[in-house]
Amino acid sequence: MTRLTRRQALASLASLGAVALAGCTEGAGGGGGDGSDATVPAADARLPLPMEPAELREAAVSGGPDKDGIPSIDDPSFIAPSEVSFLADGDPVFGVVRDGVAKAYPQKILAHHEIVNDELAGDPVSVTYCPLTGTALGFDRGGTTFGVSGRLVNNNLIMYDRATETWWPQILATAVPGPWNAEPQTRSLREFRLVWTTWGRWRDQHPQTRVLSRETGHPRNYARDPYGGYNPRDGYYAGGSPLFPPLREDDRYGPKRVVMGARAPEGAVAFLKDSLREAGVLTGQLGDVPVLAVHDPRYDTGYVYRNPDEATYEATDGRVRGPTGENAFDQLPLDRVHTFDAMWFAWAGFYPETNVYE
Amino acid sequence: MSTSEAGSGPDGAGGADGDSTGTGAGGDPDGTRGSGGLRTALSRTRAATALTLRRRDSLLVVAGVTVIYLLGYLWAIGDLAPGFGGYGLVLAADPLGTLFRTTSGVLSFAPVALVRAGPLAYQASLNTLVGLALALLVGLNLGLTYLTRKQPAACGLESSAGVLAGIPALLSGTACCGPVVLIALGIQASGVLLTAFQVLLPAAALVLLGSLVLVGRQVRPEAMTGANG
Repeated sequence: MTRLTRRQALASLASLGAVALAGCTEGAGGGGGDGSDATVPAADARLPLPMEPAELREAAVSGGPDKDGIPSIDDPSFIAPSEVSFLADGDPVFGVVRDGVAKAYPQKILAHHEIVNDELAGDPVSVTYCPLTGTALGFDRGGTTFGVSGRLVNNNLIMYDRATETWWPQILATAVPGPWNAEPQTRSLREFRLVWTTWGRWRDQHPQTRVLSRETGHPRNYARDPYGGYNPRDGYYAGGSPLFPPLREDDRYGPKRVVMGARAPEGAVAFLKDSLREAGVLTGQLGDVPVLAVHDPRYDTGYVYRNPDEATYEATDGRVRGPTGENAFDQLPLDRVHTFDAMWFAWAGFYPETNVYE
Repeated sequence: MSTSEAGSGPDGAGGADGDSTGTGAGGDPDGTRGSGGLRTALSRTRAATALTLRRRDSLLVVAGVTVIYLLGYLWAIGDLAPGFGGYGLVLAADPLGTLFRTTSGVLSFAPVALVRAGPLAYQASLNTLVGLALALLVGLNLGLTYLTRKQPAACGLESSAGVLAGIPALLSGTACCGPVVLIALGIQASGVLLTAFQVLLPAAALVLLGSLVLVGRQVRPEAMTGANG
Protein backbone atom coordinates (compact mmCIF):
# COMPACT_ATOMS: atom_id res chain seq x y z
CA MET A 1 0.00 0.00 0.00
CA THR A 2 1.24 3.42 -0.87
CA ARG A 3 0.19 6.65 0.76
CA LEU A 4 -0.04 9.51 -1.68
CA THR A 5 -0.09 13.17 -0.82
CA ARG A 6 -2.59 15.60 -2.39
CA ARG A 7 -1.90 17.93 -4.92
CA GLN A 8 -9.17 20.96 -18.11
CA ALA A 9 -9.02 23.48 -20.09
CA LEU A 10 -11.95 24.42 -22.35
CA ALA A 11 -11.71 22.91 -25.76
CA SER A 12 -11.88 25.10 -28.79
CA LEU A 13 -15.33 25.06 -30.24
CA ALA A 14 -14.72 27.10 -33.33
CA SER A 15 -15.17 24.12 -35.56
CA LEU A 16 -18.51 23.30 -33.96
CA GLY A 17 -19.63 26.84 -34.51
CA ALA A 18 -18.58 26.63 -38.07
CA VAL A 19 -20.59 23.52 -38.65
CA ALA A 20 -23.53 25.08 -37.03
CA LEU A 21 -22.95 28.11 -37.65
CA ALA A 22 -23.63 11.35 9.66
CA GLY A 23 -25.52 12.07 13.38
CA CYS A 24 -28.72 13.94 13.83
CA THR A 25 -30.88 16.51 15.57
CA GLU A 26 -31.88 20.04 14.65
CA GLY A 27 -33.70 21.00 11.52
CA ALA A 28 -33.53 23.80 9.03
CA GLY A 29 -36.54 25.98 9.52
CA GLY A 30 -39.15 26.23 6.86
CA GLY A 31 -40.80 29.35 5.61
CA GLY A 32 -40.12 29.69 1.91
CA GLY A 33 -40.59 27.31 -0.94
CA ASP A 34 -43.76 25.31 -0.73
CA GLY A 35 -45.03 27.44 2.15
CA SER A 36 -44.92 24.57 4.59
CA ASP A 37 -43.32 24.60 8.00
CA ALA A 38 -41.46 21.48 7.09
CA THR A 39 -37.91 21.01 8.30
CA VAL A 40 -34.92 19.31 6.79
CA PRO A 41 -33.24 17.12 9.40
CA ALA A 42 -29.66 18.23 9.93
CA ALA A 43 -26.61 16.33 11.13
CA ASP A 44 -24.93 17.02 14.47
CA ALA A 45 -21.66 17.91 12.86
CA ARG A 46 -20.98 19.91 9.75
CA LEU A 47 -19.16 18.26 6.88
CA PRO A 48 -16.10 19.95 5.36
CA LEU A 49 -16.48 22.40 2.49
CA PRO A 50 -13.78 23.15 -0.07
CA MET A 51 -14.34 26.90 0.11
CA GLU A 52 -16.63 29.47 1.66
CA PRO A 53 -20.33 28.81 1.00
CA ALA A 54 -20.65 32.04 -0.94
CA GLU A 55 -17.79 30.98 -3.20
CA LEU A 56 -19.56 27.72 -3.90
CA ARG A 57 -22.54 29.69 -5.10
CA GLU A 58 -20.27 31.59 -7.43
CA ALA A 59 -18.81 28.33 -8.71
CA ALA A 60 -22.23 26.94 -9.60
CA VAL A 61 -23.11 26.69 -13.27
CA SER A 62 -26.25 25.93 -15.15
CA GLY A 63 -26.27 22.35 -16.31
CA GLY A 64 -28.74 23.19 -19.02
CA PRO A 65 -32.06 22.09 -17.56
CA ASP A 66 -34.39 24.47 -15.77
CA LYS A 67 -35.36 24.13 -12.09
CA ASP A 68 -37.17 20.79 -11.92
CA GLY A 69 -36.45 20.37 -15.63
CA ILE A 70 -35.15 17.04 -14.39
CA PRO A 71 -38.22 15.87 -12.51
CA SER A 72 -37.76 14.11 -9.17
CA ILE A 73 -39.88 11.03 -8.56
CA ASP A 74 -42.27 12.03 -5.80
CA ASP A 75 -44.68 9.11 -5.86
CA PRO A 76 -42.54 6.04 -6.43
CA SER A 77 -43.96 2.58 -6.84
CA PHE A 78 -42.14 -0.70 -6.42
CA ILE A 79 -42.28 -4.14 -7.93
CA ALA A 80 -41.04 -7.60 -7.05
CA PRO A 81 -37.89 -9.06 -8.62
CA SER A 82 -40.02 -11.48 -10.62
CA GLU A 83 -41.61 -8.50 -12.36
CA VAL A 84 -38.31 -6.92 -13.33
CA SER A 85 -37.76 -7.40 -17.03
CA PHE A 86 -35.73 -4.31 -17.79
CA LEU A 87 -32.56 -5.00 -15.80
CA ALA A 88 -29.63 -7.21 -16.72
CA ASP A 89 -27.62 -8.78 -13.93
CA GLY A 90 -24.75 -6.37 -14.53
CA ASP A 91 -26.85 -3.19 -14.49
CA PRO A 92 -26.14 -0.89 -11.54
CA VAL A 93 -28.66 -0.46 -8.75
CA PHE A 94 -28.47 1.53 -5.53
CA GLY A 95 -29.58 -0.65 -2.64
CA VAL A 96 -30.61 0.01 0.91
CA VAL A 97 -32.04 -2.10 3.73
CA ARG A 98 -33.95 -0.61 6.63
CA ASP A 99 -35.89 -2.56 9.23
CA GLY A 100 -35.46 -5.69 7.18
CA VAL A 101 -36.97 -4.19 4.04
CA ALA A 102 -34.64 -4.05 1.05
CA LYS A 103 -35.11 -1.65 -1.83
CA ALA A 104 -33.22 -1.25 -5.08
CA TYR A 105 -33.20 1.86 -7.20
CA PRO A 106 -32.01 1.18 -10.77
CA GLN A 107 -29.43 3.58 -12.14
CA LYS A 108 -31.25 3.46 -15.47
CA ILE A 109 -34.23 5.21 -13.89
CA LEU A 110 -32.27 7.55 -11.63
CA ALA A 111 -30.30 8.82 -14.64
CA HIS A 112 -33.50 10.52 -15.75
CA HIS A 113 -34.68 11.82 -12.36
CA GLU A 114 -31.67 12.03 -10.04
CA ILE A 115 -33.89 12.20 -6.94
CA VAL A 116 -36.53 9.82 -5.57
CA ASN A 117 -38.53 11.18 -2.64
CA ASP A 118 -39.47 7.99 -0.86
CA GLU A 119 -40.03 6.43 2.56
CA LEU A 120 -37.98 3.76 4.24
CA ALA A 121 -39.65 1.97 7.12
CA GLY A 122 -41.89 5.00 7.47
CA ASP A 123 -39.04 7.51 7.43
CA PRO A 124 -39.17 10.15 4.69
CA VAL A 125 -35.97 9.95 2.68
CA SER A 126 -34.50 11.04 -0.60
CA VAL A 127 -32.46 8.70 -2.75
CA THR A 128 -30.20 10.81 -4.93
CA TYR A 129 -27.89 10.12 -7.84
CA CYS A 130 -25.65 12.39 -9.87
CA PRO A 131 -24.67 10.89 -13.24
CA LEU A 132 -21.86 13.34 -13.89
CA THR A 133 -19.97 12.55 -10.67
CA GLY A 134 -21.08 8.93 -10.32
CA THR A 135 -22.38 9.41 -6.79
CA ALA A 136 -25.44 7.93 -5.05
CA LEU A 137 -26.31 9.22 -1.57
CA GLY A 138 -29.34 8.88 0.69
CA PHE A 139 -30.67 11.70 2.86
CA ASP A 140 -33.38 12.14 5.44
CA ARG A 141 -35.77 14.75 4.09
CA GLY A 142 -38.12 15.35 7.01
CA GLY A 143 -41.47 16.82 6.01
CA THR A 144 -40.37 18.23 2.70
CA THR A 145 -39.02 16.91 -0.57
CA PHE A 146 -35.91 17.58 -2.59
CA GLY A 147 -35.88 18.70 -6.20
CA VAL A 148 -33.26 19.21 -8.90
CA SER A 149 -32.17 22.84 -9.17
CA GLY A 150 -30.70 22.50 -12.66
CA ARG A 151 -27.38 23.87 -11.37
CA LEU A 152 -24.15 22.05 -10.85
CA VAL A 153 -21.04 22.68 -8.81
CA ASN A 154 -17.92 20.68 -9.65
CA ASN A 155 -20.27 18.83 -12.04
CA ASN A 156 -22.26 17.68 -9.03
CA LEU A 157 -26.01 17.86 -8.69
CA ILE A 158 -27.26 20.78 -6.61
CA MET A 159 -30.48 19.73 -4.91
CA TYR A 160 -32.89 22.15 -3.33
CA ASP A 161 -35.39 21.50 -0.59
CA ARG A 162 -38.91 22.57 -1.39
CA ALA A 163 -39.57 23.98 2.07
CA THR A 164 -36.83 26.61 2.19
CA GLU A 165 -35.53 26.45 -1.37
CA THR A 166 -32.02 26.09 0.02
CA TRP A 167 -29.32 24.71 -2.25
CA TRP A 168 -27.71 21.46 -1.16
CA PRO A 169 -24.84 20.17 -3.35
CA GLN A 170 -25.22 16.43 -3.23
CA ILE A 171 -21.66 15.33 -2.36
CA LEU A 172 -21.08 18.18 0.08
CA ALA A 173 -24.53 17.52 1.62
CA THR A 174 -24.34 20.95 3.16
CA ALA A 175 -26.45 24.07 2.65
CA VAL A 176 -24.96 26.81 0.49
CA PRO A 177 -26.40 30.14 -0.56
CA GLY A 178 -28.38 30.21 -3.74
CA PRO A 179 -30.68 32.49 -5.66
CA TRP A 180 -33.81 31.25 -3.88
CA ASN A 181 -32.38 31.32 -0.37
CA ALA A 182 -29.40 33.63 -0.09
CA GLU A 183 -28.64 33.17 3.61
CA PRO A 184 -29.32 29.63 4.73
CA GLN A 185 -27.79 28.37 7.93
CA THR A 186 -24.73 26.34 7.01
CA ARG A 187 -25.53 22.84 8.15
CA SER A 188 -25.22 19.33 6.77
CA LEU A 189 -27.84 16.77 5.94
CA ARG A 190 -28.39 13.50 7.73
CA GLU A 191 -27.14 10.80 5.39
CA PHE A 192 -27.58 7.11 4.98
CA ARG A 193 -25.66 4.62 2.93
CA LEU A 194 -26.77 3.49 -0.48
CA VAL A 195 -24.86 0.50 -1.81
CA TRP A 196 -23.83 0.90 -5.43
CA THR A 197 -23.90 -2.63 -6.76
CA THR A 198 -25.37 -4.62 -9.61
CA TRP A 199 -28.86 -5.97 -9.96
CA GLY A 200 -27.61 -9.56 -9.96
CA ARG A 201 -25.59 -9.13 -6.77
CA TRP A 202 -28.37 -7.29 -4.97
CA ARG A 203 -31.06 -9.79 -5.95
CA ASP A 204 -28.85 -12.67 -4.83
CA GLN A 205 -28.43 -11.11 -1.38
CA HIS A 206 -32.01 -9.84 -1.11
CA PRO A 207 -34.38 -12.11 -3.03
CA GLN A 208 -37.38 -10.32 -1.51
CA THR A 209 -36.15 -6.86 -2.43
CA ARG A 210 -38.52 -4.30 -3.80
CA VAL A 211 -37.42 -2.57 -6.99
CA LEU A 212 -38.29 0.92 -8.13
CA SER A 213 -40.80 0.58 -10.95
CA ARG A 214 -40.66 2.27 -14.31
CA GLU A 215 -44.18 3.54 -13.56
CA THR A 216 -42.85 6.81 -12.24
CA GLY A 217 -45.59 9.10 -13.52
CA HIS A 218 -43.15 10.35 -16.10
CA PRO A 219 -43.24 8.75 -19.54
CA ARG A 220 -39.50 8.28 -20.10
CA ASN A 221 -37.56 5.83 -22.16
CA TYR A 222 -35.40 4.35 -19.43
CA ALA A 223 -33.63 2.15 -21.94
CA ARG A 224 -31.74 5.22 -23.07
CA ASP A 225 -29.11 6.72 -20.79
CA PRO A 226 -28.17 10.06 -22.33
CA TYR A 227 -24.66 9.86 -20.85
CA GLY A 228 -23.59 6.39 -21.89
CA GLY A 229 -23.79 3.06 -20.15
CA TYR A 230 -22.39 1.03 -17.25
CA ASN A 231 -23.01 -2.44 -18.59
CA PRO A 232 -20.61 -2.32 -20.33
CA ARG A 233 -19.12 0.99 -19.34
CA ASP A 234 -19.14 3.45 -22.21
CA GLY A 235 -19.78 7.06 -23.12
CA TYR A 236 -19.27 9.62 -20.40
CA TYR A 237 -18.86 6.93 -17.75
CA ALA A 238 -15.97 5.24 -19.53
CA GLY A 239 -13.42 8.02 -19.34
CA GLY A 240 -12.48 11.38 -20.70
CA SER A 241 -13.07 14.76 -19.20
CA PRO A 242 -15.93 15.79 -16.97
CA LEU A 243 -18.62 17.78 -18.75
CA PHE A 244 -17.76 21.03 -16.98
CA PRO A 245 -14.34 22.07 -15.70
CA PRO A 246 -13.91 20.67 -12.18
CA LEU A 247 -13.22 22.91 -9.20
CA ARG A 248 -9.63 21.70 -9.20
CA GLU A 249 -7.56 19.60 -11.52
CA ASP A 250 -5.77 16.57 -10.10
CA ASP A 251 -4.24 14.32 -12.71
CA ARG A 252 -2.87 11.64 -10.43
CA TYR A 253 -5.65 9.40 -11.71
CA GLY A 254 -8.02 9.47 -14.60
CA PRO A 255 -10.98 11.77 -13.99
CA LYS A 256 -13.54 8.95 -14.06
CA ARG A 257 -11.52 6.50 -11.94
CA VAL A 258 -13.79 5.29 -9.16
CA VAL A 259 -12.80 5.83 -5.54
CA MET A 260 -14.52 4.82 -2.32
CA GLY A 261 -14.58 8.13 -0.52
CA ALA A 262 -15.36 9.05 3.06
CA ARG A 263 -15.45 12.54 4.53
CA ALA A 264 -16.10 13.69 8.05
CA PRO A 265 -15.47 16.86 10.06
CA GLU A 266 -11.87 15.73 10.56
CA GLY A 267 -11.08 15.43 6.84
CA ALA A 268 -11.47 13.25 3.79
CA VAL A 269 -10.01 9.97 2.59
CA ALA A 270 -10.34 7.97 -0.61
CA PHE A 271 -9.38 4.46 -1.65
CA LEU A 272 -9.15 3.47 -5.28
CA LYS A 273 -11.95 0.98 -5.70
CA ASP A 274 -10.07 -1.43 -7.89
CA SER A 275 -7.14 -1.42 -5.46
CA LEU A 276 -9.48 -2.10 -2.55
CA ARG A 277 -11.14 -4.88 -4.51
CA GLU A 278 -7.79 -6.51 -5.07
CA ALA A 279 -6.39 -6.01 -1.57
CA GLY A 280 -9.56 -6.75 0.43
CA VAL A 281 -8.41 -4.48 3.25
CA LEU A 282 -6.46 -1.21 3.13
CA THR A 283 -5.46 1.24 5.81
CA GLY A 284 -5.11 5.01 5.76
CA GLN A 285 -5.74 8.24 7.57
CA LEU A 286 -8.88 10.37 7.77
CA GLY A 287 -7.34 13.61 8.90
CA ASP A 288 -5.30 12.41 11.83
CA VAL A 289 -7.46 9.39 12.52
CA PRO A 290 -6.30 5.96 11.31
CA VAL A 291 -8.95 4.28 9.19
CA LEU A 292 -9.55 0.86 7.73
CA ALA A 293 -11.16 0.23 4.37
CA VAL A 294 -12.81 -3.12 3.73
CA HIS A 295 -14.00 -4.49 0.43
CA ASP A 296 -17.31 -6.36 0.45
CA PRO A 297 -17.27 -8.90 -2.41
CA ARG A 298 -20.98 -9.60 -2.00
CA TYR A 299 -21.78 -6.20 -3.48
CA ASP A 300 -18.38 -5.18 -4.83
CA THR A 301 -18.36 -2.17 -2.57
CA GLY A 302 -16.33 -0.82 0.31
CA TYR A 303 -16.67 0.52 3.84
CA VAL A 304 -14.40 2.85 5.77
CA TYR A 305 -14.07 2.49 9.54
CA ARG A 306 -12.30 4.68 12.08
CA ASN A 307 -9.61 2.47 13.55
CA PRO A 308 -7.95 4.67 16.19
CA ASP A 309 -6.13 1.77 17.82
CA GLU A 310 -4.90 0.59 14.46
CA ALA A 311 -6.16 -2.89 15.13
CA THR A 312 -5.18 -5.44 12.51
CA TYR A 313 -7.88 -6.88 10.30
CA GLU A 314 -7.59 -9.20 7.33
CA ALA A 315 -10.06 -10.44 4.78
CA THR A 316 -10.69 -14.16 4.91
CA ASP A 317 -13.10 -16.33 3.01
CA GLY A 318 -16.27 -14.29 3.15
CA ARG A 319 -15.46 -12.61 6.49
CA VAL A 320 -13.07 -10.15 8.06
CA ARG A 321 -10.90 -11.47 10.88
CA GLY A 322 -9.85 -9.04 13.61
CA PRO A 323 -8.81 -8.96 17.26
CA THR A 324 -12.31 -9.99 18.39
CA GLY A 325 -12.80 -12.74 15.86
CA GLU A 326 -14.59 -12.82 12.52
CA ASN A 327 -17.07 -10.20 11.41
CA ALA A 328 -19.23 -9.45 8.41
CA PHE A 329 -17.71 -6.89 6.07
CA ASP A 330 -20.20 -4.23 7.06
CA GLN A 331 -20.30 -5.03 10.77
CA LEU A 332 -16.83 -4.58 12.15
CA PRO A 333 -16.73 -3.49 15.80
CA LEU A 334 -15.48 -0.09 14.71
CA ASP A 335 -17.09 3.27 13.97
CA ARG A 336 -18.15 3.21 10.33
CA VAL A 337 -17.88 6.39 8.30
CA HIS A 338 -20.36 7.09 5.53
CA THR A 339 -18.61 5.84 2.39
CA PHE A 340 -19.66 6.09 -1.22
CA ASP A 341 -18.47 5.64 -4.79
CA ALA A 342 -17.34 8.74 -6.64
CA MET A 343 -15.43 9.67 -9.73
CA TRP A 344 -11.92 10.81 -8.86
CA PHE A 345 -12.21 14.28 -10.38
CA ALA A 346 -15.30 14.99 -8.28
CA TRP A 347 -13.69 13.80 -5.07
CA ALA A 348 -10.43 15.66 -5.70
CA GLY A 349 -12.33 18.80 -6.67
CA PHE A 350 -14.35 18.93 -3.49
CA TYR A 351 -11.71 17.56 -1.12
CA PRO A 352 -8.33 18.77 -2.37
CA GLU A 353 -6.62 17.84 0.92
CA THR A 354 -7.92 14.29 0.78
CA ASN A 355 -5.63 11.39 1.46
CA VAL A 356 -5.85 8.79 -1.26
CA TYR A 357 -4.62 5.22 -1.12
CA GLU A 358 -4.06 2.45 -3.56
CA MET B 1 -51.82 31.87 -54.36
CA SER B 2 -52.71 30.74 -57.83
CA THR B 3 -50.33 30.01 -60.64
CA SER B 4 -51.51 32.99 -62.58
CA GLU B 5 -50.87 35.26 -59.62
CA ALA B 6 -47.43 33.85 -59.32
CA GLY B 7 -46.78 34.26 -62.99
CA SER B 8 -47.81 37.87 -63.06
CA GLY B 9 -45.88 38.85 -59.99
CA PRO B 10 -42.83 41.10 -59.82
CA ASP B 11 -40.62 38.40 -61.19
CA GLY B 12 -42.56 38.32 -64.41
CA ALA B 13 -41.62 40.06 -67.61
CA GLY B 14 -44.06 42.84 -66.94
CA GLY B 15 -43.11 43.33 -63.31
CA ALA B 16 -42.10 46.85 -62.45
CA ASP B 17 -39.17 45.83 -60.25
CA GLY B 18 -37.94 43.39 -62.78
CA ASP B 19 -38.13 45.83 -65.59
CA SER B 20 -36.52 48.66 -63.80
CA THR B 21 -33.37 46.83 -62.91
CA GLY B 22 -32.05 45.95 -66.27
CA THR B 23 -29.54 43.23 -66.81
CA GLY B 24 -26.28 45.08 -67.10
CA ALA B 25 -23.24 44.64 -64.93
CA GLY B 26 -23.91 45.97 -61.44
CA GLY B 27 -27.67 45.78 -62.07
CA ASP B 28 -30.30 43.60 -60.38
CA PRO B 29 -30.90 40.63 -62.57
CA ASP B 30 -33.22 39.02 -59.99
CA GLY B 31 -35.14 42.18 -59.43
CA THR B 32 -34.91 41.58 -55.67
CA ARG B 33 -32.70 44.42 -54.55
CA GLY B 34 -33.61 47.93 -53.55
CA SER B 35 -36.58 49.20 -51.59
CA GLY B 36 -39.06 46.85 -53.15
CA GLY B 37 -36.61 44.00 -53.28
CA LEU B 38 -37.69 42.24 -50.11
CA ARG B 39 -41.32 42.44 -51.09
CA THR B 40 -40.45 41.03 -54.45
CA ALA B 41 -38.37 38.25 -52.98
CA LEU B 42 -41.14 37.32 -50.54
CA SER B 43 -43.67 37.34 -53.29
CA ARG B 44 -41.54 35.10 -55.43
CA THR B 45 -40.89 32.82 -52.50
CA ARG B 46 -44.59 32.44 -51.80
CA ALA B 47 -45.22 31.66 -55.43
CA ALA B 48 -42.31 29.28 -55.63
CA THR B 49 -43.36 27.53 -52.42
CA ALA B 50 -46.86 27.08 -53.75
CA LEU B 51 -45.47 25.71 -56.96
CA THR B 52 -43.17 23.36 -55.07
CA LEU B 53 -46.11 21.94 -53.18
CA ARG B 54 -48.20 21.57 -56.32
CA ARG B 55 -45.67 19.70 -58.43
CA ARG B 56 -45.54 16.03 -57.70
CA ASP B 57 -41.79 15.71 -58.10
CA SER B 58 -40.89 18.65 -55.89
CA LEU B 59 -43.59 17.69 -53.38
CA LEU B 60 -41.97 14.28 -53.10
CA VAL B 61 -38.67 15.96 -52.37
CA VAL B 62 -40.28 18.14 -49.67
CA ALA B 63 -42.15 15.23 -48.09
CA GLY B 64 -39.18 12.88 -48.17
CA VAL B 65 -36.76 15.39 -46.71
CA THR B 66 -39.27 16.50 -44.06
CA VAL B 67 -39.83 12.95 -42.85
CA ILE B 68 -36.12 12.09 -42.85
CA TYR B 69 -35.13 15.29 -41.06
CA LEU B 70 -37.90 14.92 -38.47
CA LEU B 71 -36.83 11.36 -37.70
CA GLY B 72 -33.22 12.54 -37.49
CA TYR B 73 -34.18 15.38 -35.19
CA LEU B 74 -36.18 13.14 -32.85
CA TRP B 75 -33.30 10.66 -32.78
CA ALA B 76 -30.76 13.42 -32.10
CA ILE B 77 -32.69 14.84 -29.14
CA GLY B 78 -33.41 11.34 -27.80
CA ASP B 79 -37.18 11.35 -28.24
CA LEU B 80 -36.87 8.43 -30.63
CA ALA B 81 -34.46 5.74 -29.49
CA PRO B 82 -34.10 2.02 -28.89
CA GLY B 83 -36.40 0.86 -26.10
CA PHE B 84 -36.88 -2.19 -23.92
CA GLY B 85 -39.15 -3.82 -26.48
CA GLY B 86 -42.81 -4.61 -26.30
CA TYR B 87 -45.76 -2.50 -27.27
CA GLY B 88 -47.80 -0.04 -25.29
CA LEU B 89 -48.56 3.52 -24.34
CA VAL B 90 -47.61 5.25 -21.09
CA LEU B 91 -49.11 8.63 -20.28
CA ALA B 92 -47.76 11.25 -17.92
CA ALA B 93 -49.55 11.42 -14.58
CA ASP B 94 -50.69 14.92 -15.55
CA PRO B 95 -50.59 15.09 -19.34
CA LEU B 96 -52.05 18.57 -19.71
CA GLY B 97 -49.88 20.01 -16.98
CA THR B 98 -46.86 18.41 -18.57
CA LEU B 99 -47.54 19.42 -22.15
CA PHE B 100 -46.17 22.94 -21.92
CA ARG B 101 -43.55 22.24 -19.25
CA THR B 102 -40.13 23.19 -20.56
CA THR B 103 -37.11 21.21 -19.48
CA SER B 104 -34.11 23.16 -20.74
CA GLY B 105 -34.80 26.37 -22.54
CA VAL B 106 -37.94 27.64 -24.15
CA LEU B 107 -38.08 25.13 -26.97
CA SER B 108 -37.44 21.90 -25.08
CA PHE B 109 -40.52 20.21 -23.69
CA ALA B 110 -41.23 17.35 -21.28
CA PRO B 111 -42.77 14.21 -22.77
CA VAL B 112 -46.45 13.58 -22.18
CA ALA B 113 -46.50 10.04 -23.49
CA LEU B 114 -44.19 7.14 -24.20
CA VAL B 115 -45.00 4.90 -27.12
CA ARG B 116 -43.34 1.50 -27.05
CA ALA B 117 -43.14 0.09 -30.52
CA GLY B 118 -41.05 -3.04 -30.53
CA PRO B 119 -37.39 -2.14 -30.67
CA LEU B 120 -38.12 1.58 -30.64
CA ALA B 121 -39.56 3.94 -28.06
CA TYR B 122 -40.97 7.34 -28.88
CA GLN B 123 -41.43 10.12 -26.32
CA ALA B 124 -44.28 12.32 -27.50
CA SER B 125 -44.03 15.99 -26.67
CA LEU B 126 -44.22 19.40 -28.24
CA ASN B 127 -40.64 18.74 -29.31
CA THR B 128 -42.17 16.83 -32.19
CA LEU B 129 -44.05 19.90 -33.38
CA VAL B 130 -40.90 21.99 -33.09
CA GLY B 131 -39.02 19.36 -35.07
CA LEU B 132 -41.78 19.21 -37.65
CA ALA B 133 -41.61 22.95 -38.22
CA LEU B 134 -37.86 22.75 -38.71
CA ALA B 135 -38.22 19.70 -40.92
CA LEU B 136 -40.73 21.49 -43.12
CA LEU B 137 -38.36 24.40 -43.53
CA VAL B 138 -35.54 22.07 -44.48
CA GLY B 139 -37.87 20.21 -46.82
CA LEU B 140 -39.05 23.37 -48.51
CA ASN B 141 -35.50 24.59 -48.88
CA LEU B 142 -34.53 21.41 -50.66
CA GLY B 143 -37.74 21.37 -52.66
CA LEU B 144 -37.04 24.84 -53.90
CA THR B 145 -33.44 23.95 -54.58
CA TYR B 146 -34.71 21.08 -56.64
CA LEU B 147 -36.83 23.48 -58.66
CA THR B 148 -33.98 25.85 -59.28
CA ARG B 149 -32.02 22.92 -60.68
CA LYS B 150 -34.91 22.03 -62.91
CA GLN B 151 -35.50 25.46 -64.29
CA PRO B 152 -33.59 26.42 -67.43
CA ALA B 153 -31.62 29.27 -65.90
CA ALA B 154 -30.75 27.52 -62.69
CA CYS B 155 -28.14 29.34 -60.69
CA GLY B 156 -27.02 30.36 -57.24
CA LEU B 157 -24.81 28.75 -54.65
CA GLU B 158 -27.29 29.80 -51.97
CA SER B 159 -29.68 27.20 -53.16
CA SER B 160 -27.69 24.35 -51.64
CA ALA B 161 -25.96 26.17 -48.80
CA GLY B 162 -29.11 27.18 -46.89
CA VAL B 163 -30.05 23.64 -46.02
CA LEU B 164 -26.89 23.37 -43.90
CA ALA B 165 -28.73 25.58 -41.43
CA GLY B 166 -30.75 22.52 -40.52
CA ILE B 167 -27.69 20.75 -39.13
CA PRO B 168 -27.09 22.75 -35.92
CA ALA B 169 -30.65 22.17 -34.80
CA LEU B 170 -29.83 18.48 -34.70
CA LEU B 171 -27.25 19.27 -32.01
CA SER B 172 -29.67 21.14 -29.79
CA GLY B 173 -30.85 18.15 -27.74
CA THR B 174 -29.82 18.25 -24.10
CA ALA B 175 -29.33 15.42 -21.67
CA CYS B 176 -30.20 15.72 -18.01
CA CYS B 177 -27.13 17.91 -17.65
CA GLY B 178 -25.64 19.45 -20.71
CA PRO B 179 -25.97 19.01 -24.40
CA VAL B 180 -25.81 15.43 -25.56
CA VAL B 181 -23.41 16.22 -28.33
CA LEU B 182 -20.83 17.58 -25.87
CA ILE B 183 -21.04 14.39 -23.84
CA ALA B 184 -20.70 12.32 -26.98
CA LEU B 185 -17.70 14.29 -28.16
CA GLY B 186 -16.12 14.65 -24.71
CA ILE B 187 -16.08 18.44 -25.01
CA GLN B 188 -16.14 20.45 -21.81
CA ALA B 189 -19.02 22.86 -21.51
CA SER B 190 -19.23 26.42 -20.34
CA GLY B 191 -21.99 28.90 -19.64
CA VAL B 192 -21.39 30.60 -22.95
CA LEU B 193 -21.52 27.33 -24.79
CA LEU B 194 -24.74 26.28 -23.08
CA THR B 195 -26.31 29.60 -24.01
CA ALA B 196 -25.17 29.07 -27.56
CA PHE B 197 -26.86 25.68 -27.57
CA GLN B 198 -30.10 27.19 -26.36
CA VAL B 199 -30.18 29.53 -29.33
CA LEU B 200 -29.19 26.89 -31.86
CA LEU B 201 -32.73 25.95 -32.61
CA PRO B 202 -34.30 29.39 -33.09
CA ALA B 203 -31.19 30.49 -34.98
CA ALA B 204 -31.53 27.51 -37.29
CA ALA B 205 -35.17 28.36 -37.91
CA LEU B 206 -34.28 31.93 -38.81
CA VAL B 207 -31.49 30.90 -41.14
CA LEU B 208 -33.73 28.37 -42.80
CA LEU B 209 -36.38 31.03 -43.37
CA GLY B 210 -33.78 33.36 -44.83
CA SER B 211 -32.45 30.62 -46.99
CA LEU B 212 -35.93 29.87 -48.22
CA VAL B 213 -36.27 33.42 -49.44
CA LEU B 214 -32.82 33.39 -51.00
CA VAL B 215 -33.66 30.27 -52.94
CA GLY B 216 -37.29 31.14 -53.59
CA ARG B 217 -36.47 34.40 -55.25
CA GLN B 218 -34.57 32.57 -57.94
CA VAL B 219 -37.47 30.40 -58.98
CA ARG B 220 -39.50 31.68 -61.83
CA PRO B 221 -42.79 29.82 -61.69
CA GLU B 222 -43.68 30.75 -65.24
CA ALA B 223 -40.49 29.08 -66.45
CA MET B 224 -41.46 25.86 -64.72
CA THR B 225 -44.93 25.41 -66.11
CA GLY B 226 -43.67 23.43 -69.08
CA ALA B 227 -41.43 21.22 -67.02
CA ASN B 228 -44.01 19.98 -64.55
CA GLY B 229 -43.12 16.52 -63.50
